[in-house]
Amino acid sequence: MKFLSNGNLRGWLESLMGMGSLIAPVDLEPGLTLFSQVRDPGEVNLEYEITPIPPKDLFFPSSEALFRFSPSRGYEIPRIEGETFLLGVHPCDALGIRLMDFPFLSPPADPRYEERRRRTTIIGLGCVKARPECFCTSFGIGPLDPSNADAFLVPVPGGFLVEAKTGKGARALASAKLKEASIPIPKPPEVSAIDVEAVRKVALSLFDSPYWGRLADRCLSCKVCAYVCPSCYCFDIRDYPTRDGAERVRSWDSCQSPLFTRQASGYDPRQTKASRLRNRFYHKFSYFPDEFGAFGCTGCGRCVRYCPVNIDIRETLSAILRGEARIA
Amino acid sequence: MIEEIRAKAADLLRSGEVKCFIGYERASDGLTARPFFAYSADEADRLIFDGTCVHNLARYLPDMRGKRVGILAKPCDSRSINVLIREGQVEREEVYIVGVVCDGVYRTTWGKPSRELQPRCLYCSKRTPVVYDYLVGQPPPAPESQHPASISEVEALERKPAAERWEFWRSHFARCIRCNACRQICPACYCPQCFSDQLDPLWTGIRIGLPQNWVWNVGRALHLAGRCIDCEECQRACPMGIPLAILNRKLASRVKELFGFEAGMDPRAPFPFATFEKEEEIL
Repeated sequence: MKFLSNGNLRGWLESLMGMGSLIAPVDLEPGLTLFSQVRDPGEVNLEYEITPIPPKDLFFPSSEALFRFSPSRGYEIPRIEGETFLLGVHPCDALGIRLMDFPFLSPPADPRYEERRRRTTIIGLGCVKARPECFCTSFGIGPLDPSNADAFLVPVPGGFLVEAKTGKGARALASAKLKEASIPIPKPPEVSAIDVEAVRKVALSLFDSPYWGRLADRCLSCKVCAYVCPSCYCFDIRDYPTRDGAERVRSWDSCQSPLFTRQASGYDPRQTKASRLRNRFYHKFSYFPDEFGAFGCTGCGRCVRYCPVNIDIRETLSAILRGEARIA
Repeated sequence: MIEEIRAKAADLLRSGEVKCFIGYERASDGLTARPFFAYSADEADRLIFDGTCVHNLARYLPDMRGKRVGILAKPCDSRSINVLIREGQVEREEVYIVGVVCDGVYRTTWGKPSRELQPRCLYCSKRTPVVYDYLVGQPPPAPESQHPASISEVEALERKPAAERWEFWRSHFARCIRCNACRQICPACYCPQCFSDQLDPLWTGIRIGLPQNWVWNVGRALHLAGRCIDCEECQRACPMGIPLAILNRKLASRVKELFGFEAGMDPRAPFPFATFEKEEEIL
């Protein structure tokens, strides 16, 4: 463990900005912090609480042209260039990127995701405070867990404890003025865990429970939960006209939208709010682990925090564990 | 007040007068409120009412079509119910409205209590619901407006040069992620197919980008002119902090200026944008 003083932070960030683009939490409005391209190191807020959008959009943009075609210029694929340093990623969001790797990097890998991933160094940041919606410890990580990051910073008085976890991380830290650390790693904040393995064991037996209908009464069928989720990765692809041709565009989509499963015939196998709400839950706690061996959730709590009507996934997990989901 | 609401809801459910009563219960943070659907007299005990009950429950009425339901209505919710009745989305006889006298609701967000009133409550002119079958609370003496405020945010923005206003909205709309929370939470957005979901013609489609976001946000606001009752739920639901209420308020004030019309106040008043008079002035 090395120590990076607050005084030496700016110099290090400037050197990262010289090596590539630096993406970090930046305050855009009162109460709104987003991962953004840094223009001045002073903008970076490493004491941020949460960003509504996790850094997934760096690898899987909310909308991107996959290719363009026109009679004059033929067929072209937009290029992905440069190197990116993604700084200030909390352990839950670093796990989110690892979870996105399962669908996007399993063969055949998605070339655009893979290219962006290859060009990005993830610099994690430990959490000194937990939010009321946090439950990351349910998924084998914790507030100070450096796994899934290339380098990791732990905030301590006067600076950060710093550690490189991969070659990429060591390269990113090479230009930082570091000292030997004399401060021990602080105690992580308390985060309560839910026994998600136990939930997974019984979940399928509750597929037809009236619980889902009752829960869906207040669901709005908006897509906030999916768009703020670090591990929701569904998309739709559609052609859009350009001045002299067209482009094929991939955009985020969500199973919460009534259009998501509507078929060409007009039939929709998930017609009710309840079936859509249930699908999101089962994808994360049953189908995704069946397919990839990991839960499709990081415990970041964003869906809990940003749901306009307080559909709280932790309550659903508890209701299943306590058997309440069996009756109503 | 809460005991009276619980008792009334329990009565309605017990007697079979309604199948479901839509109100509020405590949210999972233990501080804020969330919509609650009670189906039995026992469940009515979970109902609450206080300054954290921000949601416009009228939004759920079109989902309940064909079922007789009870609903707790603040003055703003009651105006939305009027809009829905007037637009043929809700049958008056299918809804039992328990109106509640309201002192305004707070700017609570997840996990953070607040005693500060929401901006919309500062502009609101009603403390007593405009339509109800049963009233909880004492109606205050007229005039009801407790904080007569001008629509200062709109005026402040209007004083800025056009280029600055353009940049204000550009930077906000650029952030929009098209999650549809503003649409899905809106009691006036009930179209079976929204223009933004239409594929032919493709107005915006699912693409998330500045031109599409711009068309979406401006189109949404225009479709609400003369229909929005300023419950500000779109702005509260927006995870990206886009100040949608400024657009809504500007349009509402124009409609009031031009037609002397305020949405949801009078269920019989003709709609400015659905009424044509032979001799009317062309604007």
